[in-house]
Amino acid sequence: MMPEQLLKRTGLLIRVNLKRDWAKLVIWIVALAGLFTAIAAKFDGIYGTQSAIETIVKTLKSPAMVSLFGAFTAKAPYTTAKIFATEMMVFMAIVMVIMNIMIAVAATRAEEDEGLLELVRSHAVGRLAPLMAAFIELTGLNAIVGLLFGAGLQLANMPGANTAGNWLIGAGLAAIGWMFGMLTLLLAQLADSASGTTMLAYAVFGVMYVARMSTDVSDPKTTWWVPFGWIEKLGIYQTNQWQPLLMMGLFGLICLVAAQRLNLRRDLGAGLLPTRQGRTTASPILRGPATLLWRRTRISLLVWVLGNLMLGASYASVFNTIGDLAKSNPMIKQLLGASALAAANRVIVKNFIAILAIVMVIVALIPAVQTMLKLVSDENKGYLHQLYATATSRWQVWASYTGLAMIEAAAVFFAGTFGMYATGAAMMTDPIKWLTYWHVLLAYFPAMLVMIAFASLLVGWAPKLRHLSWLWVFYGFFSLYLGSLIDLPKWAKQLTPLGFVNKVPMKAIDWTTNWWLLAITVLLLLVAAIGYRRRDLAQ
Amino acid sequence: MATPAPLLQITHLQKRFGKFQALKDIDFSIYPGEVFGFIGPNGAGKSTTIRVLLGILKASGGSATIFGQDVWQHSVAIHQRIAYVPGDVYLWPNLSGGEIIDLFLKMNGERHTAKTDALIEEFGLDPRKKARTYSKGNRQKVALIAAFSTDADFYIFDEPTSGLDPLNEQTFQNHVLALKQQGKSVLLSSHILSEVEKMCDRIGIIREGQIVETGTLAEMRHLTRTTIDVQTVAPLTKLAELPGVHGVTAKHGENHVSLAVDADQLTPVMAYLTQQQLVSLTTTPPTLEDLFMRYYEAPNDARATDGK
Repeated sequence: MMPEQLLKRTGLLIRVNLKRDWAKLVIWIVALAGLFTAIAAKFDGIYGTQSAIETIVKTLKSPAMVSLFGAFTAKAPYTTAKIFATEMMVFMAIVMVIMNIMIAVAATRAEEDEGLLELVRSHAVGRLAPLMAAFIELTGLNAIVGLLFGAGLQLANMPGANTAGNWLIGAGLAAIGWMFGMLTLLLAQLADSASGTTMLAYAVFGVMYVARMSTDVSDPKTTWWVPFGWIEKLGIYQTNQWQPLLMMGLFGLICLVAAQRLNLRRDLGAGLLPTRQGRTTASPILRGPATLLWRRTRISLLVWVLGNLMLGASYASVFNTIGDLAKSNPMIKQLLGASALAAANRVIVKNFIAILAIVMVIVALIPAVQTMLKLVSDENKGYLHQLYATATSRWQVWASYTGLAMIEAAAVFFAGTFGMYATGAAMMTDPIKWLTYWHVLLAYFPAMLVMIAFASLLVGWAPKLRHLSWLWVFYGFFSLYLGSLIDLPKWAKQLTPLGFVNKVPMKAIDWTTNWWLLAITVLLLLVAAIGYRRRDLAQ
Repeated sequence: MATPAPLLQITHLQKRFGKFQALKDIDFSIYPGEVFGFIGPNGAGKSTTIRVLLGILKASGGSATIFGQDVWQHSVAIHQRIAYVPGDVYLWPNLSGGEIIDLFLKMNGERHTAKTDALIEEFGLDPRKKARTYSKGNRQKVALIAAFSTDADFYIFDEPTSGLDPLNEQTFQNHVLALKQQGKSVLLSSHILSEVEKMCDRIGIIREGQIVETGTLAEMRHLTRTTIDVQTVAPLTKLAELPGVHGVTAKHGENHVSLAVDADQLTPVMAYLTQQQLVSLTTTPPTLEDLFMRYYEAPNDARATDGK
C-alpha cells in the first residue's frame, strides 16, 4: 500500500484526539510548567548563599542522594543553577515519563479496547493513521512542555544559569519524555490491552530506573548503557552536551518505526504476545463482589508486590556503600572508634530508609487508589449493572473495593519494606533489624489509610472529581521526595497526611498522630459509605 | 442472463487466531444491486468475516476483494466507497451525537447534508446529547445515520438493529430497500430472520467458520420441507409410509394431521392426499427460521463429520 494511503486522514484524527484530550493535556502542561518554574524562581532564595551551596553539595555527593537524584557531576565553582540541575533532572524526568506513558496508552490501546477504533478504521482512514495521530500528539505535548520549561528558566534567571543550559534542560526533559512515549507506542503493539501495555511500560521504566540507580552509585560511566540515565549526561550549565539528546531522539525513532511495523502486521484488538485461555468453571472462591474484584486484580497486585519488593531490594543493595563513612574518609575510624563509627553508619542508613519509605508509600498508594477509583470506572462501563441486579447490596460492593484497596496498600508497602530488610540483612556487615522496618510500616500506614479513605469519599460523593485523589498522591510524592531539598515550608508538606508522620526510623513513632489519623480514616469511610449508598449510579 | 462482475468476492477465506481456526472456508460473492443476508449462530464467524472484509483483521488464507481490490492492501480506497455499522457501537463519550456523525462523514471525505438532517429527524435522535448518555439503541442510530448519509456503493451492517425499537427498525428496513432500488449493494448480518427474509435477495448461512449454504430463499426452500396441515374423509393410514414424509402428528378432529414433506416428494404425497378426499388443506412454505433450525439444530451426522 502506498504510504499516503497508510496515513490518510491522520490530520482529522489528531483534531479528534485533541478534542478528546484537551482538558487532560492542559492540566499536565500547566501543572508541570508551573511547578517547574515556581521551584526555579524560588531556588535563589534557598541556595543563594555560598555556604548554603557548599552544604547541599556535600549532601548531594553522598551515595544516598546519588541513588535518588543521580550522580553529582557538577564541578566547582558551584552555583545555584548547578544545584538546581542536579536536584531536578531525575525527578522531573520521572514525571515526564509517567505523563507520556499515561497519554500514550490512552491514545492507542484504550481506544482500541473500547471498540472505537474498529468503527474509525472502517472509514477511509489509513491503517497507520491512529498510531501516527498518537505520535504527533505526544510530540507536540513534549515540545510544548519543553519550551515552557526553557522559557520558565529564562524567566527565573537563577544565578549561574545561562541561556544554552536553560534550553538544554527543556529540550532534555522533552526528549526523555518523548522517548518513553515512543517506547510505550511500541509496547502497545506487544500487549493485548491497555492495562497490559501500562504494566509493561512501567516494568520497563522500573528496570531502567533501578539500573540507573545502581550504576550511578557504583560507576557513573556505565549509566550510559541505560536510556533513562541519559538525562543525567547533559552536563547542564557546564559543558552543555547535546549528544544525549541525539541518542534519545534516535532511540525514540527506532521505537516508533518498530511500532509502525508491528502495527501493520497485527490484527486489531490483538497483541503479539498471546492471550491465554481461561478456566471452564469458576473456582469455588469466586462467589461475590469481593472475590470477583480479587479475581480481576490479583495479577496486577502480584506485579506491584514483586515490583516494590525488587525496588526495595535494589535500594538496599547500596546500603553498604552509603553506610560506610570510612570509605570516603579513612581517618574517621581512628577519630571515632569502631563502635561509634558503626553507630554513625547506622544513622546514615536509617536516614536513607526514612526517605525511601516515602517512595515505598507512594508506590503502594498507586494500586490502592487505582482499585478505589475502579469502583467508578466499572460503574461507568456498566460492569456493575448486572452485579446490582443480583442480591448484592451497595454496601457490599463499596466495602469490597475499599477493603481491597487498603489490603493492596498494605501488601505492596510491606513488600517494598521487606525487600529492603532482606537485601540489607544479606549484604550489610551490620544489618538494620526488622523492628526498625516494622516501625516504618506502623508509622506510615495510618496516613496511607487516610489518603485511600479520601479517594473512597470522592467515589461516594463526587465521582467526577475522583481524579483529585491522584493529584493528592502526586503532591505527597513531590512534597516529601523533593520537599526538604527545595525548602518547602512545613504547612506545605502537611497538605497531605504523609507530612504529619514523624521521620521514622530516625525518630520514634508518634502514636498520638497515628490514632488521630485512624480516627479520621474511620470518619471518612463512614461518610463515604453513606454517600455511595445514596447517590445515583451512572446509567 | 449476463452476470455482472461481483462487487464482493470471497474465495476460500481462512482466519486463524493462534490455534483456533475461526474461519475455515468462506466462499461467497455479492453482486451490484443485491442485498445479501448473512446468518449464522453466535460465534460462527460472521463478525470475523466482516472484520476481515474491513481490513481490520488480516486473513490467514484465501482471498477477499471488494470492487475488485484486495481488502487488506487497498483498505483505504475501499473504505472510501463503503459504510459500516457494527452491532455494538462505541463512541467518544465526551462528543455529542451530532459531532460524531459529522466526524464519521469527514472520515470518508463527505459532509453534513440535508439528507443527514432528514435522517436525524426520521430516526428521532437528539444530536446535542453527549454520547456517554446515549442508550445502545441511540448509539446505533448515530452509526446508522452516518452510514445512510454516506454516499457509498457498498453497505455492511453487522446486526445493526439489535437495540432499535420496532418503529426505527422499520425506518432502517425502508432505507435498506431504498439503497437496493438505487442499485447499491448491502451485506446484512442479522439474527432477526424476518428482517433478512423480507429484504435479502440472497442468503448465506455460516456455521463453525464455514459457509454451509448460499442461494435465494426460493432455492433454499427447495432444499427443505413444506409443512402441510390436512384433513380428509378417508383415514390416512398409509401416509407415514410414503417416501419423503416426516413427523406425522395427529391433530384435533377425525383424520386431521400435520406433516412435513420433502420438496421433491410433494407430487406423490399430494396425489395420495387427494385420493383420500380432502376436507381442508393448508400448506406453509418453510420460513427462514425452519431453514435456520435445520442447519443449526444440526443433524447429528453433520456434527459428527466435524468431529464434535
